[in-house]
Amino acid sequence: MVANATHEAARAVDIRVWGLAVNFGQARNALSGVDLDVRQGEFVALIGASGCGKTTLLNVIAGLVPAAGGTVTIRDLPPSAGRRDICYVLARDALLPWRTVVGNVEYGLELSGVGREERERQALAYIEKVGLRNYRDFYPSKLSQGMRQRVSLARAFAVDRGIYLMDEPFSALDSQTKLLLHDQLLGLWESSGATVVFVTHDIGEAITLADRVIVMSKKGTGVVEEIRVELPRPRSADALQADARYHDLYRRTWKSLKASTE
Amino acid sequence: MSNLASSEANLGSATRESGPRSVAIFAARAAFLLVFLTVWEGAVAAGIADPAFVSTPTSVVRSLWLLFRDGEVISDLGTTLLEIMIAFLLSVVFGIASAVVLDRNDWLTRVVSPFLTAFNSMPRIALGPLFVLWFGIGIASKVVLAFSLGYFIMLLSTLGGLKNVDRDLLLMSRLFGASELRLFRHVRLPWALPGIFAGLKLTLIYCSAGAVIGEMIAAKSGLGLLVQTFSGRFDVAGVMAVILVVAFVVMALTSLMELSERRLLAWSKGSTDVPG
Repeated sequence: MVANATHEAARAVDIRVWGLAVNFGQARNALSGVDLDVRQGEFVALIGASGCGKTTLLNVIAGLVPAAGGTVTIRDLPPSAGRRDICYVLARDALLPWRTVVGNVEYGLELSGVGREERERQALAYIEKVGLRNYRDFYPSKLSQGMRQRVSLARAFAVDRGIYLMDEPFSALDSQTKLLLHDQLLGLWESSGATVVFVTHDIGEAITLADRVIVMSKKGTGVVEEIRVELPRPRSADALQADARYHDLYRRTWKSLKASTE
Repeated sequence: MSNLASSEANLGSATRESGPRSVAIFAARAAFLLVFLTVWEGAVAAGIADPAFVSTPTSVVRSLWLLFRDGEVISDLGTTLLEIMIAFLLSVVFGIASAVVLDRNDWLTRVVSPFLTAFNSMPRIALGPLFVLWFGIGIASKVVLAFSLGYFIMLLSTLGGLKNVDRDLLLMSRLFGASELRLFRHVRLPWALPGIFAGLKLTLIYCSAGAVIGEMIAAKSGLGLLVQTFSGRFDVAGVMAVILVVAFVVMALTSLMELSERRLLAWSKGSTDVPG
C-alpha cells in the first residue's frame, strides 16, 4: 500500500481530473476546464479565494457532486460516494455526540467492516497518536474544538484508506491549535503513505502541509499556478515559522492568489 | 409541539440533587405538603369549606385504607393497569414504526398528513361512547381510546426527533460507507432518542387518562368505574382516593422510564437537548 518510490514519475497517478466542468443550476459554470493530476502518496493543497470552486472540485472527486463535462478517475474508476478506498474529512468534526472518543474512532472502523477486537485495538492506537489517551472515555461535548478535530483525524486515519480528501478541517481553530494539529496530521499522513487532497484558504497551512500548492482561479476556470513546496520532511509546523524558504513560498503563493482574484 | 411536550413531560422529574441541598429541598417539599393539608383540614374544621364538596385529608386517607383493606381495589387496579400497558405498548410500537416510515417517505407523508392532523384534532374523549359501542364494555374499548391518544404523541415526538437529524453526521457516515440500515441504527435512532423519551412519558400519562376515562363511560371493572361508583354516592373522599391511586401508578411507571433514560442518555447529561 505504501509507495516508497522516490521519483514521482515512478508513482502512479491516483486522481486524474481532465477538462472538468461543473454546473450549478442552469446558467452558471461553477467550474470549467479544470485539469489536475495527483500522484500516489502525494499531499496536494487546493487554495483559492472563496467561491473559486475548490470545495466543489473536492466534492466531485468524492462523488458528491456530478461532473457536467470532462473526466474524473480515481484509481481508474469513476468517483462515487462511500468508496472503500477514499476517506473524506469534513470541515466540522461530525463526531457522534452519544459516543465517547474511543467509540467515535471505532465507528469509522465499524463502518469499514473491521471486527470488534481489532477495532478497539486500532482505535486506541490512533487515539494515542493524537495524544488523547487520557480522554478516551470522554463524550465530545466535554472536549475542546481542537480535541474534537483530533478525534476526527484519528477516526479518519484509523481506517487506513489510500486517499484522503479534506475540506478545511482546521478552519474553525485558533492559530496555536492549528500548528499542533498540522504536526499531528503530518505524523499520521507520513506513516500512512496515503494520497491527500487538502482544501484550505490558509496559505501558511497549505505550505506547511503540502508537496504542491494549487492556486485556483476565482473565475472557476481551473489552476492558476502550481507551487512546489520543496521543504524537507519530516516538517515541524513550529520550526517552519523561522524558515526563510517558508516565507519565500508564502510570498509567492500570496502574489499568485492575489493575481487569481484580479 | 416538541418543546411543549418535553417541558410537560418533565414537570414531575426535577433533576437529581445530592448533598445538603437535596435535604433542604426534601424538607421544603414536606413543609409545602404539610401546609397544604393543614389549610385544607383547617378550612373544613373552621366551617369555611363544606366537607361534602371538598372532603378532608383524613377522610381521603381513610378511604384509601378502606380500598386496600378489603382488597377490593386490587382487581380494578389490575384491569386499569392492563389497559394502560397494552395501550402504551401499542402506541409506542406503532407510533415509532409509523414515524420511521413517514420520515423516510416524503410522498407518503404528504398524502397522509392531513388525515393524521384531522384525526389528531378530534377530541378523542368524545369518541369514547362510540368506542364502547364498537368494541364493547370490556377492556378493548378502553385500550382503543387510550391508544388513539397515545399513538399520535409517540408518532409526533419520534418524527420530530428524526426530522432534525444532523446532516453532517449522515454525510460523514455515508462517506465512510454506511448502509441505510446502519445510518438508522447509528445516527437517526440515537439522534431521535431524547425526543422519543419525552414522548414515552407523555404517552404514558395520556394512555392512563384514556383508560380511566374510558372506564368512566362504561365498564365492568377498573379504577374509572370505581370513580363513577363513588361519585354516584357523593363519596368525594372515595373519588379522591382512587385518583391518588392512579397518580401513584403513573408516577411509579414514569420513574422506571426515567431510570432507563438516565442510562441511555448519559451522553446528553440527562437533558433532552442534543448538544451541537
